[in-house]
Amino acid sequence: MNDTRRTRAVLGVLLLISLAMITVDYRGGEHSPLRGLRSFGEAIFGPIEDAAAAVITPVGHALDTIIGSPDAHRRVDRLERENQRLRQQLRAQQIDKSRAEQLHRLLGTAGLGGYRIVAAQVISAGEGVEETVTIDAGSGDGVRTDMTVITGDGLVGRVTQVGPATSTVLLATDAASSVGGRLEGSGEIGVVRGTGRRSGSPLTFELLDSTVEIKPGQRIVSFGSQGNRPYVPGVPIGTVIRIERTPGSLTRTAIVRPFTHFTALDVVGVVVAPPKKNPRDAVLPPAPPKPVTPTPSPSNPGPSNPGPSTPGAAASAPTRRAPDEPSAAPRAMPSGEESASAGPSRRRRSATSTESPRTRRTLTSTEAPRRRGPRTPHSPGD
Amino acid sequence: MSRNVLATIVVVAALLLQLTVANRLPLPASVTPNLVLLAVVALALVNGSMTGLVTGFFAGLAADIVPPADHTIGRYAFVYCLIGYVCGLAADDLERSPVLPFVAVAAGALAGSVLYAMVGMMLGDPRTRWPVLSHQLPVQVLYDVIASPFVVWAVLRLTRRAERQHDPGGLDAVPGFYRAR
Repeated sequence: MNDTRRTRAVLGVLLLISLAMITVDYRGGEHSPLRGLRSFGEAIFGPIEDAAAAVITPVGHALDTIIGSPDAHRRVDRLERENQRLRQQLRAQQIDKSRAEQLHRLLGTAGLGGYRIVAAQVISAGEGVEETVTIDAGSGDGVRTDMTVITGDGLVGRVTQVGPATSTVLLATDAASSVGGRLEGSGEIGVVRGTGRRSGSPLTFELLDSTVEIKPGQRIVSFGSQGNRPYVPGVPIGTVIRIERTPGSLTRTAIVRPFTHFTALDVVGVVVAPPKKNPRDAVLPPAPPKPVTPTPSPSNPGPSNPGPSTPGAAASAPTRRAPDEPSAAPRAMPSGEESASAGPSRRRRSATSTESPRTRRTLTSTEAPRRRGPRTPHSPGD
Repeated sequence: MSRNVLATIVVVAALLLQLTVANRLPLPASVTPNLVLLAVVALALVNGSMTGLVTGFFAGLAADIVPPADHTIGRYAFVYCLIGYVCGLAADDLERSPVLPFVAVAAGALAGSVLYAMVGMMLGDPRTRWPVLSHQLPVQVLYDVIASPFVVWAVLRLTRRAERQHDPGGLDAVPGFYRAR
């Protein structure tokens, strides 16, 4: 009675239906007719998940406290030390208010270009290789698809699907995610790609120009998408921790430690209104390909490739670290080293580009001492 | 009919637990047990391949559309439907072999991950790459096998209770291994 003709017929029909759904949904892409099905799922299961999360979250918090106890001790320790350091820095900062304001503007977080955000809580997480989460804010709260999601620390991802009271967020660490990024200080642009939590380093950064020097410790902010969707400019993404060079490759890949703690997401903010004024325009490098002078970098003995760079060419190539590259980069570099890193080659590049070199120099030198400076992307008015 | 209601309840409960609890567990290697798959395997083992494949299809479809799913609709439906059918074929042997649930769960977890990844590779999904998969597979199978007794036990118990109420002296679907408890 178990494996009858009827069972096989039903199996065949259902498999055909699922294959048809895969085809239709895949071919349809963003405008797939099955999107309605997903909205239905969001409308039905969103509130249920919300309710279930309300019951389960306190239990989870209790468990987290027990499991994360050793971790918490370490964190308290680290935060106390950091607090000490910040207090000293604060004293130093008060001397130099104008510079602090410049940094504010650079990160696009204050005054002129503030983000308007809707706060939301993470209520469930995607399964398997998918790095997605559900948050408890939906179209009723003004959330739409392709909005940027941030935390107080930095970029989280973008909204891919919106229901009445919940929405789905694709995390920046997902392998399907790529975000335009900009190196703070030099202003060089590139692509930040997710590689998944399991790969050890959740984010990589690929510069479009392979001759540019990246240093561990440099920070990356979002470059901003066209029309501010899906990514608004100026959101902190992460810190470069090491550089992987692929001999013969056109691009150079940096491993990035994100500011956001992706494994412990709780309260996030959806940027519902982008900054009124793009704070990035003033520091953008010129778009057309310019004759690049081959930079003689001391740590790169391989043939440097000054040709026109193509993004993504090196993404899948196996990467190898150059022998003289420090394997574990120091987390915080002393400020002197940082500003000195923008050596003669850097200055020459600045001089040939159209923007004012002075702005860059100032920013580079102010950046390092205030690594932990005010970069919370809430506008003061919120 | 109560069997269908039961299967629906089990699948929805598994899905909710999966999304709100299991996926957020801070387990080593960032892999979590796949409760929906376990529920499908357990229901198929108890009720046969017809229930298995129908349950698998609808459980997979639910997993495809429930937030925060962000993959092509139909992928899990296809995979779970096949697994439900194959595990259902083994339902008759459940009586004889006490380790069968574990073997079925391990095979189901392995086949589920591989099939899902294969469909993903055919569609050009950047998330399902071989290096990630090869790291994930052994851990995934291990976690699923560890979690399987709980799910299989719960399903068997629910079935037994439902059948005692609605069908006294009817089908004896509860295997010897679990009947002792």
